[in-house]
Amino acid sequence: MGSSRPIQISYDGLARVDGSARFAFGDTAALASISGPFEVRLAAELASQATFDVSVRPLSNVPSTESKSQAATIRSAIAPSLILTKNPRTLIQLVIQTLSPSPTPRWTDGLLAAMINASSLALLNAGSIPMRGVVCAIAVGRTRNGDLVVDPDEKTAGEVTQGGCFAFMVADGAGLESNSTTVWTNWRSQELGTFDEDELIEAREVARESIKEVYATMKSSFLPNDDKMDI
Amino acid sequence: MASELVFPGETVPAKHVNLKLGPGLLQQATLSNPSESSVVSTKAGLLQHSANRSKWWVDSNARRYVPAPQESVIGVVTQRLGEGYRVDIGEAHQASLDALAFEGATKRNKPNLKVGSLVYARVSLAHKDMEPELECFDAQTRKAEGFGELKGGFVVRCSLKMCRQLLDSKHFLLPLLGGKFPLESAIGMNGRVWISAKEPKQIIAVARCIEAVDPDGGGMDAVEAKAFLETLDA
Repeated sequence: MGSSRPIQISYDGLARVDGSARFAFGDTAALASISGPFEVRLAAELASQATFDVSVRPLSNVPSTESKSQAATIRSAIAPSLILTKNPRTLIQLVIQTLSPSPTPRWTDGLLAAMINASSLALLNAGSIPMRGVVCAIAVGRTRNGDLVVDPDEKTAGEVTQGGCFAFMVADGAGLESNSTTVWTNWRSQELGTFDEDELIEAREVARESIKEVYATMKSSFLPNDDKMDI
Repeated sequence: MASELVFPGETVPAKHVNLKLGPGLLQQATLSNPSESSVVSTKAGLLQHSANRSKWWVDSNARRYVPAPQESVIGVVTQRLGEGYRVDIGEAHQASLDALAFEGATKRNKPNLKVGSLVYARVSLAHKDMEPELECFDAQTRKAEGFGELKGGFVVRCSLKMCRQLLDSKHFLLPLLGGKFPLESAIGMNGRVWISAKEPKQIIAVARCIEAVDPDGGGMDAVEAKAFLETLDA
């Protein structure tokens, strides 16, 4: 099973936004920036909570249907961790830029996991939006011989028969047994075939274990450094 | 006080008879036992508490201001209404400043602020569902105490943590600059600092020093800042 590819995190401090972060699994990288809460146009205003808007910019070409679909996915994964009722009638805008191409056209889950993690880090970096947990994501795949691989790289992605990305919200204050809850997954069969519930649960638990390492890496990247983070 | 890094969602061991929670902490019912409550962090930062453990808060930096009552802010007048002004304080909504909320103001003797003028005011009301309200006098004494219109000078943008550091009388930067040339400053908690000095090059030197010492920008300490100031022509 193993662990993910080496994780790289950096906080670029983009000039005109409130928070930004870059996250990479190996060489699959994404950059996220967050602005808010700020003024919202009247049509998008919500009376009792903030409007959360996500857009994804692909590596090349203008944003297309796939970008819209990824944006909707990331929105549903991140939204449970935000406390939007503290800032009604404002806008929180998340923009994600992919920094690397997907390994194979059909396996985009590694990039999706990197985008969700970059978004969480940008939200933590901004510090102006209250959150109830941190969403961490990782991609898991099952190869032809039945092994579960965490964060498959380019070579292994081609051999994956079932796979998907799992996103967990990590919050130990919930008072439940485990401190992470699954908020989103897109586990599916890559070739013609089916999978059963046990296989999905097994993959989810493998992902839950690997998330601990992702969360620990995120936390240690936040510690004040001489020339880095600004806490 | 050892400060530990907390992430949103982590429980904080804050228990006291007179517990006061500052920014970044929230009290909520525990899911497993709704009759009990626990204190949870809502942002990422260093957890701090006062010596007697009654006041707890999370210390972190941010660029976007969210108003809280009793904070002093620097605003720009954007609109004149009949009974007051609309002021931009860097928040999602414009704040309202009543024309009579100045020291010694009566219906006959109201201050005459133009659109685009700067005011140093105190946030008197900051509720999430309402527009923030400002006042230009101190709450207890009803006197100006430095609030009011700021004439001349220059406004520098900085991060919120830098503003808090500048307000701390033990911070090194303002005494260091004030030792070189006479300087007037007003520090707004909304990430804006107003500075006024005799010559433009002195104002520029102050602006560049603030940017250099800002934890979000250069993050210089006292020694580096002194050396940096020497290189500037002021």
